[in-house]
Amino acid sequence: MGKLIVVACGAGINTSTIAEDSIRERMVKEGFADVEVKRILMADIEGFLTRTDLVMIVSMMKIFRTFNVPVIQGMPFLIGSQAEKDVLLDKIVDVVKKV
Amino acid sequence: MGFLSTIVNWLLGLGSSLLVMIVLIILGLIFRVGFAKALRGGITTGVGLAGLFLVVNLIINALQPAVAEMATRFGISKTFVDVNWADAGIAWGWPGVAALIVTLLIVNVLMVVLKLTKTLWTDVWSYWHGSALAGFVWALTGGSIFWGVTAGVLYLVLGSLMSDLTAKKYQEFNDMPGIGVPCGTTVQASLFAMPVVWLLDRIPGIKDWDASPEGIKKRFGIVGEPGVLGFILGVIIGIFAYGTTSGDLGLTKILGLGMNVAVMMMVLPRMVSIIAEGIVPITMSIVQYMRERFKDRELYVAVDCAVLLGHPAVMASSVILFPLLVLLAAVLPGVQMLPIASLAVVPFWAGAVVPYTKGNVVKTVIVLLLYAIPFMYFSTLTVDAHTATFQMMGQYGDQISQGLKLASWDMGGDILGFFIQKLFGLFG
Repeated sequence: MGKLIVVACGAGINTSTIAEDSIRERMVKEGFADVEVKRILMADIEGFLTRTDLVMIVSMMKIFRTFNVPVIQGMPFLIGSQAEKDVLLDKIVDVVKKV
Repeated sequence: MGFLSTIVNWLLGLGSSLLVMIVLIILGLIFRVGFAKALRGGITTGVGLAGLFLVVNLIINALQPAVAEMATRFGISKTFVDVNWADAGIAWGWPGVAALIVTLLIVNVLMVVLKLTKTLWTDVWSYWHGSALAGFVWALTGGSIFWGVTAGVLYLVLGSLMSDLTAKKYQEFNDMPGIGVPCGTTVQASLFAMPVVWLLDRIPGIKDWDASPEGIKKRFGIVGEPGVLGFILGVIIGIFAYGTTSGDLGLTKILGLGMNVAVMMMVLPRMVSIIAEGIVPITMSIVQYMRERFKDRELYVAVDCAVLLGHPAVMASSVILFPLLVLLAAVLPGVQMLPIASLAVVPFWAGAVVPYTKGNVVKTVIVLLLYAIPFMYFSTLTVDAHTATFQMMGQYGDQISQGLKLASWDMGGDILGFFIQKLFGLFG
């Protein structure tokens, strides 16, 4: 079964595009063919929570609630150095591998 | 010289989609992202721009007859068509966009080096506010790219100073160290909120009055979904316009308008998102480069206003504001645009205000009701320049010559933008 990572932001226009791009690039590099990276609006998240292939939420803003899948704060994609980005991407790769 | 102007004229004649494609490919090559990425980015943005103008065309055709009908039946003079984020199309499609991006990058680096600002403005996407304003000024001055770029840069420079004033508060409230949000009408909402919240905190009764954001979201949350909101607003306008049209035809028209407005509310932001999908990867390399350059300084790195939308009070305040703002625009004399598409900007304003109201829904609503009033009047006052900009870009010429007027809150009603337009209008 495929694995789904959702990248959630407030507008689904700009910030999530940046993170989606970086994550997708890394997934290709790792050779994960079955990982889907999808950019969504935080307002639309309910519909994705019930999907059985959802493995992780990357959030581009502070969320004031909890979820039953791992949540990663994606802010370093916007303002972090290359090293900070790599740490974050390693974390994402770890989660994907474990599932 | 003659050769150069031939090339420039040929480029301008291509239309905005092809123009932006070429501009982005060139920018991509300058920023060294590689040809494939530059090509993909250029084409994607061109597609988004064309899609955006298509959606706006759809909504003009649906809404214009309806608002005209309302005017003749009830004498309600609210005949401007609200196109809101079609202004992003102006921003990325007007001929001076590349000059604006490069100029602002240089000006921003100079300001950071000279310690005039702490905001490192690497989020090229959010230049669009300044670039849209630049487009208006370009139209106002009869096609002067120079004045357009100057006005846009002035607007964005003031934006980075406003970001300096608000960054700490955003960082604390949203738990995001190191960010700043210089986006146009968003950061202005924070400045507006400061004195108003100070005042509200001194009025007994309002001081401690609050509503539970979770409760509001549960009950009215569905209205916060753009499609649903659009359908409801479309049907209401439809009832005013076609309510007395006989039989099935009236009902068909009312429901049809509801669906068309829903289409606009959902598809317009998607098109803006496609434009961003093309631009963002091309400009990412600048972000990295500038960040490494200034890594020893305490700076606020500019990010998009979307990061401010996390708190539950943002959507809760917005769903209360939607109907109130439409009503307010309907009753205020002299306001000629009923907000529909422009309501989409309200959550971004709320995101900028909740750090100051500490997530209090009632105060956020009061602040933004007041904040929206100048937008209602300014969007009415700037309508001619706004409409002319679309016309000069080769869009909707036929409808405009028949009297169509296009307005928006973000950027047509922008407070700072209004005064800059007035100033640069003197040069036209």
